[in-house]
Amino acid sequence: MNIKIIDSWLREYLITKASAEVIAEKLSLCSVSVEKIEKIDGDLIYDVEITSNRPDLMSVIGIAREAAAVLPQFGIDAKFIPLEPTKNKKLGKELPLEIVNNPKLVNRICTALMSVKIGNSPRFIKERLEKSGIRSLNNLVDVTNYVMREVGHPAHVFDFDRLNSKKLIIRESKKGERIITLDEKLHVLEGGDIVADNGNGQIVDLLGVMGTANSIVTDQTKKILYFIDNNEPYHIRKTSMNNGIRTEAAIINEKEIDPELAKIALLRGIELYRKIADGELIADANDIYPNKTRPKTVNVFKSKIDTVIGIDIPLEECEKILEKLGFRVKVKNQILSVDIPSQRIADILNQEDIIEEIARIFGYHKLPSMLPPLVEVESYHMDKNEFYWENRVKNTLKNWGLTEVYTYSMISEEIFEGPTENAIKLKNPLNEDLVYLRKTLIPSLLEVVKNNKKNEQLKIFEISNIYEKRVGDLPKEIRMIAGVIKRPNVSFFEAKGIAEQLLNTCNIKNVTFKTSEHGGIASSVYIEEDYLGEIELLDSNIVDFEFNFEKIIKLANLSKVYKPLAKYPPVIEDLSIIANENIKTADIIEEIYAQNELIKEVTLLDQYQDTRTFHIIYRSEEGNLTADQVKKVREKVLTALEAKFHAKLKK
Amino acid sequence: MEDELLGIKNTAISLILDSKDQKELEEVMLQFLGRSGRLTLSLKELPKLPIEKRAEVGTLANDVKKTIEEAIDRKRDELSHHKLTEKRKKIDITNPGILPPLGHLHLITQAIEEITTIFAQIGCTRVRYPEVEWDWYAFEALNFPDNHPARDDWETFFIKTEANPKKGPMILTPHTSSGQIREMERKQKPPIRMLNIAKCYRRQSDVSHTPMFHQFEGLVVDKNISITHLKGTLDYFAKSYFGENRKTRIRPYHFQFTEPSFEVDISCGICNGKGCKLCKEGWLELGGAGMVHPNVLKAGGIDPNIYTGFAFGWGVERVLMMKAGIKIDDLRILYSNKLEFLEQF
Repeated sequence: MNIKIIDSWLREYLITKASAEVIAEKLSLCSVSVEKIEKIDGDLIYDVEITSNRPDLMSVIGIAREAAAVLPQFGIDAKFIPLEPTKNKKLGKELPLEIVNNPKLVNRICTALMSVKIGNSPRFIKERLEKSGIRSLNNLVDVTNYVMREVGHPAHVFDFDRLNSKKLIIRESKKGERIITLDEKLHVLEGGDIVADNGNGQIVDLLGVMGTANSIVTDQTKKILYFIDNNEPYHIRKTSMNNGIRTEAAIINEKEIDPELAKIALLRGIELYRKIADGELIADANDIYPNKTRPKTVNVFKSKIDTVIGIDIPLEECEKILEKLGFRVKVKNQILSVDIPSQRIADILNQEDIIEEIARIFGYHKLPSMLPPLVEVESYHMDKNEFYWENRVKNTLKNWGLTEVYTYSMISEEIFEGPTENAIKLKNPLNEDLVYLRKTLIPSLLEVVKNNKKNEQLKIFEISNIYEKRVGDLPKEIRMIAGVIKRPNVSFFEAKGIAEQLLNTCNIKNVTFKTSEHGGIASSVYIEEDYLGEIELLDSNIVDFEFNFEKIIKLANLSKVYKPLAKYPPVIEDLSIIANENIKTADIIEEIYAQNELIKEVTLLDQYQDTRTFHIIYRSEEGNLTADQVKKVREKVLTALEAKFHAKLKK
Repeated sequence: MEDELLGIKNTAISLILDSKDQKELEEVMLQFLGRSGRLTLSLKELPKLPIEKRAEVGTLANDVKKTIEEAIDRKRDELSHHKLTEKRKKIDITNPGILPPLGHLHLITQAIEEITTIFAQIGCTRVRYPEVEWDWYAFEALNFPDNHPARDDWETFFIKTEANPKKGPMILTPHTSSGQIREMERKQKPPIRMLNIAKCYRRQSDVSHTPMFHQFEGLVVDKNISITHLKGTLDYFAKSYFGENRKTRIRPYHFQFTEPSFEVDISCGICNGKGCKLCKEGWLELGGAGMVHPNVLKAGGIDPNIYTGFAFGWGVERVLMMKAGIKIDDLRILYSNKLEFLEQF
C-alpha cells in the first residue's frame, strides 16, 4: 500500500541534516521503497510503498524511526524523537456510557468524552492532510485522520449526543442487518462484522472500517466520544472485502496493529482536540484492554546469522542495529536474546525475521556476490530429456518452414469440442473467450488461421498441454503437438510427410497409418499398437495434425547401430503394377517385402489412375545377384500380387 | 603391337585436347575406350601374342589406358570450368537466392531457450510443474494463511470443482513458486538446483499483463546457502542475459514465502545507471527474490535448521520486453499470434 509522508512533518520526529533525496534513497535501499518525491507549495512529499507485513510503517513516526536506524549506516547523523503526548489530570469523573466489549472481536478500546467546538481546522492541519492525500472536512474528523497518519493507529469520533444511549455493545452483526455508512450508502451485512450496538439493537458503528451516518459528527455537534478500537484483523478484512469498503482505516486494520499504539493515539488526539477544537475532557479517558500484548523474545544463533547473510557481521554491530530499531538485545554464548517491541510483535516471529532486520540495515549492497557451489544434483541423460526433444522438434519444424504459435489454454464455449460436462471450467473467468481448459489444440490453431485472413498460405504449429478431468484429483496435463497448413488445394500428404519425417528424425520406427475412426478425410496414426493422433484434411485448403507429444518423447531415441556397408552392388528396377484403386499401397508394399529377403527396399514412385509404379532394390549379402536370381524373385512377387490383389504387371 | 598402342595413345590425346565440348569428348571416349573402341579392340588381341611378350605389352596397354582416362578427366574438368566461366558471365548475381524453407520459433520459446542455457551453465536442472494446482501448493505451503490479504495480489483463477479437504480449492497456478514445493517433494533432500519454467495464469489483461504468461523460478537449497549466493546468481544472470556491463541490486521487500525478501533491480541499459526518463534513477525493476522461508522448507519436508536456500521468480515476457532493442510496448501482442508479428523474429 502506498502512503504520502510529508517531509516537514517527518522532521518533527527525525532530526537529521540529510536532504529529502538522500533520505528517500537510503530508505529505499534498506527499508521501504520511496517511489517518488513530489514538491507541493514548498513542501516535499514522499510517496512510499509499504509492504503488507509492516503496518507499523504506515505512519510518520514509523518512517522516522526507520530513517533514524538507516541513515547512520551511511555515516549520516540521525536521531529519532519519540512522540510523548501530554498526560491528562485525573478528573475523577467516569464515562457516562457502559461499553460492553467482546474480547474475541476487539483487543482494546480507548475512549475520551470531550466537549468541543466544531469548525474548520487551522491551515497547517488542513495543508498536511491534503498534501497527504486526505480530504480535510472539519476539525473533529480531521483530528482522527491526522492521528492515524501521524501515529499509525486508525481513530474514530462519534457525536456523543447522537449516540443517545447509556450502553454501547460490541458484537458481531447478524446476516441481513442493514446500515447506512457515513457516505450515505446502504449496506446489507453478511453477518460476522464487528459492530457497535447502542443497546436498542441499532448499529451505530462498523468498527475499524467506516462510521455510520446515524452517529457521526455534524455541524451541531457539541460533545464527542473520541474512540480508538483495536480490532481482530480477519473480521475487518472480511467486512471490508464483502462490502467493498476499502478505506485507509480498513486497509490498516486488516493487518495486525499494535494495541499499544491505541493509547498513544488516544492521548495525541486529546491533545489535538484541545489545541484546535477547544476540546475539554468531560470524563476521565477510558481504557478497556482485555488482550494485552504479551512480551515476546526471539533467540537468534550467531551461526545462523552468518549462514544466512554469508559474511560475519560482528555481534556488537548486530546488537547496535537491532537496538536502533527498537529491539532490546542480550548476548550470551553467541546467542542473541531479542525482545520484540510491541509494534513488531505481529511480524517478527522467528530467527529469520531478526536476521532480515540486521541484514537490511547493515546494507545488502555491502554484501559480496558469489555463485553457489557446483554440485551434482542428478545425472543428465540427453536422449531421455523432454526439453531436449521438445527443443529439437521445434527447431526441426522451424527449419521446415513452420511458424510456432502460443495460444491460450482456455477457450470459449463456442470453440470447445464435445460435451462441456467433461470440461474443466473456470469459476471466475476473465471473459467469455477464456472459460474452458481445452482438450485439443486444433480449434485454437484454427482461430489463429481465422485471425490471419490476409495470409492465403500459412504453416503453424504449437506444443502445449491439454487437460483431462480426473475425479478427485488434479486434471491430467498431456503435452500435445499440433499443426495446421493452409494453402490453396493443400495435399493431405503434406501433413503426412511432416508426420513421417518428424517421427523419423526422432528415430521412431513402426509407424502405421490407419483410416481414421472419426470419419472425414483423415488418418489415425499408430506407433505399433499405440495410438498417437490424427491427421485430417479439413477442407480443400486446410490440413491439420495433432499427436500425443509425450508418447513421441517416450519413444524418441538417439540409439545408433552401425550396419556394415554393402559388399555387393544392388539390382534396382521399377515395376508398374495395375491394381484396383481401392487396394491400399501399404498392403501391396507389405506383400512385396514378404516375398523374399533379397528385397531390401520398396517405395511408391508414381501413381496414375490404377497403375502404381514401385521402385524395388534387390541386394544380396552373399554375392553379386544374377539376372536369373532377380527374375525368380520378381516372378514370385508378381504371382503373390496376382493372387492376393488380382494385380497385374503393366506391359 | 607396341607401336599400335603408342599410335592409339597419341591420336587419342590429340583428339581429347581438341575436343570443344562434353559431347565431342564423350564421342572420343567411346571411339577409343568404348565396347568397339580402338584400344578395347586392341586389348582383345593381347592373348594372341606370344607368352613372353604378353606381360610387357599388357603393362604398356594398361599405361596407355590410364593415360587416356586421365586426359579425358582433365579435359572434362577444363570444359566444365570453361562452361562455368561462360555461365558466370550470363548470370546476375544480385538476383535473389533460392532460399531453403525457414519458419519461426515464438519469442517465448527463444527466451526460454536462452534462460535455460544460462542456468544450465551453473548447474540448474530445468523442470516443469503443473499448471492446474491445489491451493495448498500455490499458497498454503508457501506460508499464506487462509484469507490472507497477500493472496489478493495474485488475482487467482479458480476451477469450478469441489475443493479438496486437505489441499484446498483447485486453481490455475498464478506463479511458478508452487514448483518449489513440488521440487522439494521430488528431491526429498538437498542439494536442490531447480529452474522451473511454466505457464502461469492471473485474472489481468492490460498493456503489461496477459491472463496467461510464463515465469521462470530458481530454487537453490543446500547447506550454507546465503544472500551472497543469491546476489551472485542474480548478477550472473543479468550479465549473461542483458549484457556484460549490467549490474543488479537487491532492496528490502516482503513476500510470504521468503525471509528476508528482496526486490531486484537491474541497472538501466540506456543510461548505464546515471538516470534517464526510461528508468528510476538509473534502475529498472526486474522481479522478486528472497531466502526461502523456514515454513516453506518445512512444508517441503526439509529441515530449516540444517539447510537454507534462496529463490526468485520472474516473468519470461518481462525479461524479454527488457531485452535491449526489442521495443515491444504492449505485452498482449505476444499472444495475438499475428503472423506479421511472429515472422519478424
